[in-house]
Amino acid sequence: MPWNEPGNNNRDPWSGGGGGQRGSGGGGGGNQPPDLEEMMRKLSRQLNGIFGGGGSGGGSGSGGMGRGAQALVSLGLIIAVVIWLASGFHIISEGERGVVLRFGEFQQVNNPGPGWHLPYPIERVEIENVDNVRTLSHRALIVTGDENIIDVDIAVQYRILDLVDYLFNVRDPDTTVNQVMESAIRERIGKNNLDFILGEGRGEIASSARVVMQENLDAYGAGIIVTAVSMEQAQPPEPVQGAFADAIRAREDEVRFRNEAEAYANGVIPRARGQAARVIEEAEGYRDQVVARAEGDASRFDQLLAEYQQVPDVTRDRLYLEAVEAVLEGSQKLMLDVGSSNNLMMLPLDQLFEGTSSTGNSSSDTPTPRPLDTSRSVFSNSGSGTSGAQGDRNPAAQRSREVR
Amino acid sequence: MLRIAGIAVIVLGIVVALSTYTVDERDRVIKFALGEIREVDPSPGLHFKFPLIQNVEKFDARIMTLNIPPDRFLTSEAKNIIVDFYAKWRIDDVGQFYRATRGDERLAEERLAQILRDGMRNEFARFELQDVVSGERLTIMGAVRQTALETAKELGIDLVDVRIRRMDLPEEVSESVYERMRAERQRVAQDFRARGQEEAERIRSRADRERTVILANAYRDSEEIRGAGDAIATETLGRSFGEDQEFFRFYRSLIAYRNSMSGENSTFILEPNSQFFQYFNAPGGERPAPLPAR
Repeated sequence: MPWNEPGNNNRDPWSGGGGGQRGSGGGGGGNQPPDLEEMMRKLSRQLNGIFGGGGSGGGSGSGGMGRGAQALVSLGLIIAVVIWLASGFHIISEGERGVVLRFGEFQQVNNPGPGWHLPYPIERVEIENVDNVRTLSHRALIVTGDENIIDVDIAVQYRILDLVDYLFNVRDPDTTVNQVMESAIRERIGKNNLDFILGEGRGEIASSARVVMQENLDAYGAGIIVTAVSMEQAQPPEPVQGAFADAIRAREDEVRFRNEAEAYANGVIPRARGQAARVIEEAEGYRDQVVARAEGDASRFDQLLAEYQQVPDVTRDRLYLEAVEAVLEGSQKLMLDVGSSNNLMMLPLDQLFEGTSSTGNSSSDTPTPRPLDTSRSVFSNSGSGTSGAQGDRNPAAQRSREVR
Repeated sequence: MLRIAGIAVIVLGIVVALSTYTVDERDRVIKFALGEIREVDPSPGLHFKFPLIQNVEKFDARIMTLNIPPDRFLTSEAKNIIVDFYAKWRIDDVGQFYRATRGDERLAEERLAQILRDGMRNEFARFELQDVVSGERLTIMGAVRQTALETAKELGIDLVDVRIRRMDLPEEVSESVYERMRAERQRVAQDFRARGQEEAERIRSRADRERTVILANAYRDSEEIRGAGDAIATETLGRSFGEDQEFFRFYRSLIAYRNSMSGENSTFILEPNSQFFQYFNAPGGERPAPLPAR
């Protein structure tokens, strides 16, 4: 049997899948013609029946038996013929097409629905689903145009466009689709650079691969249409993914660094403006303070002077005595008549100065104006009391007694 | 009689079976008469032959695939690359095919594969790896097909297509490619980060500069204001104190004594003959010295 020679068994014309279904009378799934061996076996069984029947009939009686046996044989034959004819029925489901071959010669394409063809061995029908979208997927490491390696996962969808071409032109068309897919996608990826494929080029590569695939399949007359090619995944290979992820992080870092710096700038500049405003305000406060105090001091002096000029001596003495009184009032005193006796004296100075360090240096709560001697308020002991001395440089001075 | 009819049917069946053959759409058929090719390529359908004397051989008419397993090829700069490819072929002249291969597909494919592999080797040696990978794939495939066409024709074969399926770098090369890719990404990452830092430094320093300028301007303005205040104060006081300088000195000195010397922590060692004690020593008040008139 030449059609059974090696390499030709994929599409052995008479070894369709549904070999044993002839007995089902052409209903349901009896689409495929029966297997040849099966056929032969049945035929021989029938022949054996005929001859066996004939032999036994001949052995048992000469003519009387003949009529009954003949009727039986005729009935058997008729049934056989009916079954044979019924085996030509087939049903083509929705989405399928059937190709009818008469002695191997193409006759027609049958559309979905029930149908009948001349039974085996005259005609056969080969049914294939043409609307069903078939999918293939492929994942591989592929060399890119810039000699990098990329990990690509690609999926292809295709279906049969022309069943006759599909059946008759290419051996193993589905495998062919696979081969064409691999070739096309690798070619397209080899034409492009890694960054492009990873980035915006993904769709473009898939669609151009689709075009290449379709061209190839058309050149083979495969009767297949590629409906979609999609690059499910395009990523750097596993060994370098860390580096790629780091590069992406670096991009984020770039933005982050800038944002941080901007945050810093946004914090610094307004604060500086605030500080500037404070400095100005303080300066203005100082100016007003200094001017006001100067005016006060001047006014006081002027008034005192006016009185002084009327009775200078008395006023002078009074002022002097009051001042010395105030100075000596709160302080420790030691009276020595140094002038009259030149005796050497031992003064317990350490006792005298005991406790001095603890007194009088508590700081004022008002900010200290800039030390500018000429401008400093001269009269800290203004008449209204210690409050008038506020802002003086030495806070200890504020605690001095009033003159009066 | 029935037996005779049965036998006749069987004989007839055998005769028919021996004297007919079918040609499928997918078949290429040669009819031999005692080993000699008598007819080539009958059309699909039912055909007759003389039984026993004539016989037929069927071949596949469809396009078939010749897979050539992965093999190493050298490019012009002696780099290794692993390539596997396939050829699509179909029987063109079935008589020629039969004569050249005795109808053995595998024999045909072996010869074809040999030619293709040689052609591929030659083609790869003409290009550099870069070109092979990116640009010249189609050229190579076309050229290989061209070189093999002659042989294919001798075999009665139509070489429909030759396509490179995979083109991979050898394992050891892949490793160095990965190294390179890593280095490349590191370069990119460094670049991004450094750029970010550059920009950040720029922004920071600009902010610092602005702060410095703002503060300096504020200092200038504040000093101006203070100076103006001082000027007014000095002028006011000067005008006032200038009216009697001697009294001013006296008056101011008293205040200074009071401010600087009073308090618990001051200790005075006094001589009784100081002016303050004029009356302390004697009610008459002989003055030892006149009142300080400084």
